[in-house]
Parts: sequence; structure tokens; C-alpha cells
Amino acid sequence: MTQVLIDGLFLGCVYALIALGYSMVYGIIKLLNFAHGDIFMFGAMIAFTMLTAVPGLQSAGIVAVFGVLILSMFLTGGTGVLIEAVAYKPLRSAPRLSLLITAVGMSFVLEYGVKQFWGSKSITWPQWAQMGAGSIPIFDGTITISRLVLMAVSIALMVGLGFYINGTRQGRAMRAIALDQRASTLMGVDVNRTISLVFFIGSALAGAAGVMFGMYYGAIGFMMGFLLGLKAFTAAVIGGIGNMYGAMLGGLTLGLIERTTVYFCNGDDSWKDVVSFGLLILFLTLRPTGILGDRVVERM
Amino acid sequence: MTNSWTKKALALCAAMAAATLSLTACGGSSDTLKIGMAIPTSGENAMYGEYMIKGAQLAVDEINAAGGLLGKQLEIKTSDSACEAGQATSAANDLVTEEIVVSMGGYCSGATLPTIDIFSKANIPMIIPAANSNSLVETPRDNVFLVNGVGSDQAKMGYDWTQKNGYKSLLVIDDKTDYSVGVSTYYQQFAKEAGATIDSISLNPKEKDFSGQVAEILKHDSFYFTGYAEAAGLLIKQSLEAGYSGGILVADGSVDVLTGSTVGQPKASEVIYGTFSVTPDMIDDGGAFISTYKAKFGNEEPGPYVIQTYDSVKLWAQAVTEAGSVEMDAVDAVLHKIEYDGLTGPISFNADGSRKKSPFVIVKVSEDNTFKLFDDMAS
Repeated sequence: MTQVLIDGLFLGCVYALIALGYSMVYGIIKLLNFAHGDIFMFGAMIAFTMLTAVPGLQSAGIVAVFGVLILSMFLTGGTGVLIEAVAYKPLRSAPRLSLLITAVGMSFVLEYGVKQFWGSKSITWPQWAQMGAGSIPIFDGTITISRLVLMAVSIALMVGLGFYINGTRQGRAMRAIALDQRASTLMGVDVNRTISLVFFIGSALAGAAGVMFGMYYGAIGFMMGFLLGLKAFTAAVIGGIGNMYGAMLGGLTLGLIERTTVYFCNGDDSWKDVVSFGLLILFLTLRPTGILGDRVVERM
Repeated sequence: MTNSWTKKALALCAAMAAATLSLTACGGSSDTLKIGMAIPTSGENAMYGEYMIKGAQLAVDEINAAGGLLGKQLEIKTSDSACEAGQATSAANDLVTEEIVVSMGGYCSGATLPTIDIFSKANIPMIIPAANSNSLVETPRDNVFLVNGVGSDQAKMGYDWTQKNGYKSLLVIDDKTDYSVGVSTYYQQFAKEAGATIDSISLNPKEKDFSGQVAEILKHDSFYFTGYAEAAGLLIKQSLEAGYSGGILVADGSVDVLTGSTVGQPKASEVIYGTFSVTPDMIDDGGAFISTYKAKFGNEEPGPYVIQTYDSVKLWAQAVTEAGSVEMDAVDAVLHKIEYDGLTGPISFNADGSRKKSPFVIVKVSEDNTFKLFDDMAS
């Protein structure tokens, strides 16, 4: 059972990191950015290209991987800003549904655009840039060091984001726009710039998750963002979409629920997605504000 | 108002009639024979579809260079099945509209099954290079031929291997696709008939985290994965990281460099075995085939089902030559009696269209991640 907890929490961390970006964007402009899962995939792809294309990187070892992680975050962040400017900004005053459809279109553009350049084959992450396999026993389960590192990095990123949103001027601007966009404009908040910033941060986090995903699982492909994106969306809804802490809580909850379902089915995951997405429907109908929805008055 | 509507309707009708006419003109008698391939070129299985196109292209180019077939050049028409039954149906219909003379498609069995009716009604013979679920030949038809061995043959080979190694508690994992469940079902059947203990579970190949399955794997001393390479690599990698040290066997869908490269060397070449029908590197004149392939496709190694598709085209070409026509009945009659010596071994068919001698062997991952012949289980 300890193993179930460990596995579930780890999976939950991956979901949470992607759910954050979903939730931030929804919180601020009420857009379900379905391209978010594909930004995650794009981050893994460009990191892979940097790792393999730059000669001599291997000798720098962990420093190189860390550098590539940071650089990928900037690049995916930039991509997020670009997508917002090209596909979402012109539609900001259009009906919500148009935005949603554009987002789905953007998702396909990214998926099949990446397929054109990187191919449809699953790509193996360079062996040297993958994480080692050492593990530590905890009660009757074990946790690999690579998982510990990734969970620590995810938590650090989430805590950092929490400080940023609650403790800085830009963070306050984001929260203000989430509450009332027009009033924020009247109060002198640069709305366009702040929205771009939200896309930058959300996409950079997704990029980071993509790179870490490659480092841990060792296999990436152009469709990897699709299901994971849907799961992250589910996590965001369960936790309370638009709410940052809700995204984290939702991610962990979903990870644990999925892993527990598989545990009770003796390793068979046929029921897992039924339970996850059934839960999504249940929350949308019975408690659309999610677990944290009511307790937190302020979104973001 | 009514008048203007009538005019518009008339104009529309005229335009449609013109369009239909011009389409018919385009599709009329042509100097090429079209080979249709309803295969996945998008989605998770796109890479296998692309391998199949390359295998077919190689054979078509050879035939065209030698003067074509019945004096006509061959041409490949592909249509994306995306490995989904719904899209495969429309892909097959598109190919029928293109007036293909033979279908060389079918990778995922689940997406191949609904195309059988469509091609049969259009009098098009089907030579299926990769898909090999027993369900494809459950209702025998005169125009369906499987170049790959069926699932039950493969499952038998897998079960024999576990017995040869003395494994006691068996686990079989499928990915819910028609083909995968088929092999798994036969494997369980063989094990149960012999009184062995066996458990079976499924996974979703779109996932990347298989910690739930790994926990179950750790309770057994061998497992057989009957899905495709992407999931196989991750599943094996994660079970080894969790400390699994039992037997690992994968079915032909996972026999691909991807499995070994995902797991990583040197571990992969020590522990991963597979059940597979022969590949170019296992046959005597395979080297020549590999170098021709590499020269043509930018130094890429031939992947799964390249030679099966190549064989399919060559086999059909021979049948057409013998029949002197591409008509379904004539070609079918020849195919039912054919004794063709292909790269994948001698090809001849049972009455239901399944391959007579399905050439399954046990293969093992080598240091360069390709699967190499390990044991032909002849003794």
C-alpha cells in the first residue's frame, strides 16, 4: 500500500505541474487552453533536440541537463506568448466558445506540426541525460532517487509560483485581472502584458514538466501531451479550476485515485480512465467549483 | 423569391453535374495499377504505417523498373486509417473510389476488420501484411490473405518458451487492441490447458506511467506483453527499475528497436525476448535487402513489417502474372494454390486465408537494440 501512495503522489506531481498552467490561464481569461498539453510535449521535443544536437554536452553531465531545462522553459514560455498573441488575443472579446474551438485547433497545429519535424516515431531520450535508477526503501515500498528529485523540483516550482503570485506586483496584477479585467484596466494595470506573462509562466512550467518527463520516462512522442493534457484538465477541475492551490491538490488527488483504482483491479488499468473521467463529470455536475472552490474567494 | 430560389437550385445542380462529370473523367481508364493501403499514418501507430509504405514502395519500384505488371506501372495509394475502426472504414471507401486493384493494408487488426466487407463488396483482393488477429479469418472469405502468422501460432510459441525456461507463475499483459487481446487469450488458453497458473491484465498504451502494472509484475516470475513497442519499452524499463528479475517476453508488435532503446543498454540486451516472425537480418540474403532499403530511405534501418509488406506486393505480383489479370476471382484462385518463396519464408495459405507455415521464432534484443534470432524452438 505504501507503494501505491508513492506511485500515486509522483504521478500526481506530474499532473499538478501541467494543471497549474491550465488553471492560471483559465483563472485569468476564462479560456480552457487545450493546447497546453501540447506545449508540454513541445518542451520535451526541443529539449531533446538541444541535448542531441549540441556536441560535447554530454561531458557537462547534469549541468548541461539543467541548462537545457532552463532554456526549454524560456522557449516554451515564448511559444505560449506567441500562441496567445496569434490565436487568442484577436478573439478576446469573441464568444467563449470561439476561443475554445481555437484552442482545440491550436492543439492539433502543435501536434501535427511537431510530427512534421520530429516524425511520428517515439523518441528515446539520450541515455546519459536520463535519471539514474538508485532507490530508497520506505516502509514496505521503494522510491527511486529520480522520482524524489523530480518531486522536489515540481514542489519547488509550485512554491516559487505561489510566492510570485502572492508576493509581487505582477502577481497582484494577475489576481486583479482574474477578479475584474475592466476594473484592472481602469486602475492602470497593463492587461495585455500581464496576460502574456501568465501564458509565459504557465507554458514555461509545462515545458519544464515536459523535459522532466523525458528525463524520467525516457520516451517522448508527438501525441504524449494529449492524454496527459486531458488528465491535467481533469485535475484542475477536481481541485477547482482557476485556483492555483486547487490545481496542485487536484493533481495529487487524481494521481492517488488513479493508482488506487489500478491497485484494486490487481494491476489492470481498464477501469482507471472510467473512474478519472467519471470523477470529472461528477465534479462538473455536483461541485463545479472543485474541492477548493468555495473556500477561496479570490481566484488565481 | 421562389423564382430566384429555383434558379439558384438549378445552377447548383448544373455545377454538381459538371463536377461529377469531370471527376468521372479523371477516374477513367488509366495506365497504372493502383495498390491501396489503408494504414495508420497519423496517431500513435503512424510510424508502423510509414514502415509499411516503404516496404511496399521498394517492391513497387523493383517491379516498375522491370517493366511493370501486365504492361502497366504500379502506383501506391495510401489512406489514413489512424488505427480506428471508424476512420478505417472511410479510408477503405476512399481507396475503392480511387479504383485500386488490390488492398495491401491493415496494421491494427481492429481497424482492418471493418475494411474486409468494403473491399470484398468492391471485388478487391486483400493481402494483409501485418494485422494478424484470428478474428480476421474467423469468417473465411476467398479474398482475404494473411501474410503474417495468426495470433494463436504466436501465443503457442510464447507459451512453449516459458515452459522451456521453467517459469511457474505466468502473467500476460495486453493493451486492449484486437490483436493484443487475441494473442493474450490464446496464451491463457494454452497455459490453462496445461494446468499452469496464469493471470492477465491490461494497460492503456497512451499512458506512460505503468506503476500499477509493475506492482503486479513483481508478483510473477515471467510476463508476456502482447501490445506495441512504445508501451513495451516503458513497461519493461519501469519494472526493471522496481527490481523485477524474472522472464520478459514481448509479442511481435513490440519487436522493434524502440523497445530496447527505451529500456536502455546494457540491460535491454540481457533480459528482453520476443516472439516474432523472421526479419531481414535473420535470413540468408537479408543483408542485400537491408542495404537496398538503406540506400533508398536515407540510411534508415528497416523496421517492423517492412519485409512482410514487401513480400505481400511481390506475392500479389506473381499471382497476377500467373492469372494474367488483376480481377479478384482470378487472383484469388491463384493465391489459394500459390507456393511463393518470400523473404519471410515459404508462403502458402490455408483455406481460410491464414498462412500455412507461420514462421515464428524466439528473438532477443542485441547490443544495437535490434532483435536477433535467439532460438527457433525447433528442438
